Amino acid sequence: MATTAYEATLAGRRLAASPGLGKRIAASWRRNRAGYLFLAPWLVGFFGLTLGPTIASLYLSFTDYDLLTPARWAGFENYDYALFRDQRLGHALSVTFHFVLWSVPLKLTVALALAMALDRSVRGVTIYRATFYLPSLLGASVAVAMLWRQIFGAEGLINQLLLLVFGFSGPSWVTHPDYALWTLVVLAIWQFGSPMIIFLAGLRQIPQELYEAAAMDGARPLRQFFRITLPLLAPVIFFNLVLQTIEAFKAFTQAFIVSGGTGGPVDSTMFYTLYLYLEAFANFRMGYASALAWLLLIIIGIFTGIAFLSSRYWVYYEDEGR
Amino acid sequence: MSNRITRRGFNGLLASGASAAILASTGRLALADERLRLIWWGNPERDKRTLAVVDLYQKANAGITVDPENYAWGDYWQKLATQAAGKNLPDVIQMDYRYIFEYARRGQLADLTPFVGKELDLADFDPNQLDSGKVDGKVYGVSMGANSMSWVYNKTVLDRIGGELPDQTKWTYDDFVAIGNDLKGKLPEGMYFVAERASQENMLQTWVRQRGKELYTDDGQLAFDVQDLEDFWAFYFMLQKTGLTPPADIMAMDTGKMEENGLIVGNTLFNFHHSNQFVAAQNLAKDEFAIVMIPNQAGGRAGQYLKPSMFLSMAANSPDPSAAAKLLNFFITDEEANDILLIERGVTGDASIRERVSEVLTDTEKKIIAYLNVVSTHVSPLPPPPPKGAGEIDRAIRPAWEAIAFGQKSVKDAAKEFYEFAKTTLARA
Repeated sequence: MATTAYEATLAGRRLAASPGLGKRIAASWRRNRAGYLFLAPWLVGFFGLTLGPTIASLYLSFTDYDLLTPARWAGFENYDYALFRDQRLGHALSVTFHFVLWSVPLKLTVALALAMALDRSVRGVTIYRATFYLPSLLGASVAVAMLWRQIFGAEGLINQLLLLVFGFSGPSWVTHPDYALWTLVVLAIWQFGSPMIIFLAGLRQIPQELYEAAAMDGARPLRQFFRITLPLLAPVIFFNLVLQTIEAFKAFTQAFIVSGGTGGPVDSTMFYTLYLYLEAFANFRMGYASALAWLLLIIIGIFTGIAFLSSRYWVYYEDEGR
Repeated sequence: MSNRITRRGFNGLLASGASAAILASTGRLALADERLRLIWWGNPERDKRTLAVVDLYQKANAGITVDPENYAWGDYWQKLATQAAGKNLPDVIQMDYRYIFEYARRGQLADLTPFVGKELDLADFDPNQLDSGKVDGKVYGVSMGANSMSWVYNKTVLDRIGGELPDQTKWTYDDFVAIGNDLKGKLPEGMYFVAERASQENMLQTWVRQRGKELYTDDGQLAFDVQDLEDFWAFYFMLQKTGLTPPADIMAMDTGKMEENGLIVGNTLFNFHHSNQFVAAQNLAKDEFAIVMIPNQAGGRAGQYLKPSMFLSMAANSPDPSAAAKLLNFFITDEEANDILLIERGVTGDASIRERVSEVLTDTEKKIIAYLNVVSTHVSPLPPPPPKGAGEIDRAIRPAWEAIAFGQKSVKDAAKEFYEFAKTTLARA
């Protein structure tokens, strides 16, 4: 926070001392030429593969486009249909919200709990950390989603275990409309690795003296957790919350693979992204799918905005001096 | 100073790198005289055979390289549409009756008529089968053979438990259910009498055709009534309740891949297949399978029809249409190629090839021929091509049926809702 003011002063001084705009650009170009050259591969990728298609999709979202015939201008028709008439989209939204609202808090809780368990100097703790991080490396992959289908299938591992321990076997969890979404929530929670690593780093930042002082004053671990750990970790929690919420809204692979690309059974795993994909590549409504993509961007923006607004009331930065 | 030199050196390096790249690319262009792309959907068995034919073609035609691409049915059409949008369709394309009209009328496919009698030798080809690949009077696809829908059953198990089937050309659903109830208690653990096929468009189609109707009219409207759909689903719901089909969550494990099919997994005695899939299904299983007609409704007309199993088409944007037509011709008329392909895609319309091939067929393949011989005298005409939006309606049958199967909706409500959905979708497409 302190650096920003300093940087602003510097920038201001630079601006005041500058000659004409043209000369300034020329000079900066000369100075930074090599830099841009090295950036070129990334810039080409950004403009060609990210920005270009993004702008194209904004245009397409106002058209009727089925891939085989040229796009036809449709005005706000796609947005109108999505917002007011598409019942299946409403269902997809509710499935997605369900997924986000359950998977994110649970995942963060598990991540924090494990981070605290691993935040100590025991022999071989680094091995444990690496092991616990593994699922995150695998989690979003197609292979694990397929494995999930097996584990939670009719004769999968879960039912075998149930049979062994309790003497009865459950339904085919992944293909039952009451449970399919929950298997995806569990899969998401299982990928707690990256928030866990960030929590670990955050925990390391908390001065040990605070705990020592609190212990001396007779605060028990639970009280220490709520009075020291949580408040001081708030910025990290906030960071993880925003990141994981965005991630959860964008979840696609798991639902696609686990449901065999259908969003079934009975649309119970029809994520927003999966619906978007099906509209685009199964029903060939590229224009409508583009509109859905932009609406998702707005939805994610709103949720991120809410998180930022609320952060004022629960996130404290040490250097803010409140 | 040193900075300058480094930069100049760097520029020189860049320049030489670029020229090397240009040299390399032109060099490669000069080496590969001709590349043709071939795309198909299928199953492991078909992939194996098609790749063998591609090898054969490359050996016989030095300087031509065929780049094969293959996908499962579901992914295939997404891939194809994307390539069509990028004006990048492969030269030779496996096409389906469902899509050939749309692709041809939108200018994506080449009219093959000018090649007939030249690159394409169709002198021995059955004119009826040739007609099935015509759109607006022009040839846009050469049929790879005819097939029809069928019940495939596990003969090993049926024989073991002493089940017997009546004359397949006369049997009705009433007979079918009676047999099912009779055998229910004798089936091996975990095996049910028949797979639920209430979520399959082609079974609904057969059902309404047996009642003298169609799924769609010529001008793309619904050609059946909501009552037909309700009866269809009510029938399968009855099968589920009486335990003749597996529970809904077990059925939902089958996403349409051959390996997940109940016959292969071993949880159903009877299941649906197209007749040309019989070889692939049999090759994935240890037990012996047999193939019979789908039961009729009491007093119904013939619901089945002979369908062109698939076509080979050519892309309109093929850079070398003559070479593409030759490759296409190789699949249709070459004797050695057909010794490999046999009837995996369907029974060919080329008379001399059919004769040659019929002498080397396996017992499994002979069953298909025998089956088609029976069916061909008990079919009704080919339905009109499905309209735009039919694909979406097809995919919506499954969730609609599952709502019934999992007890979320009544048959009546689900049928009514689905019927409305189908109407709206057709209007929107």
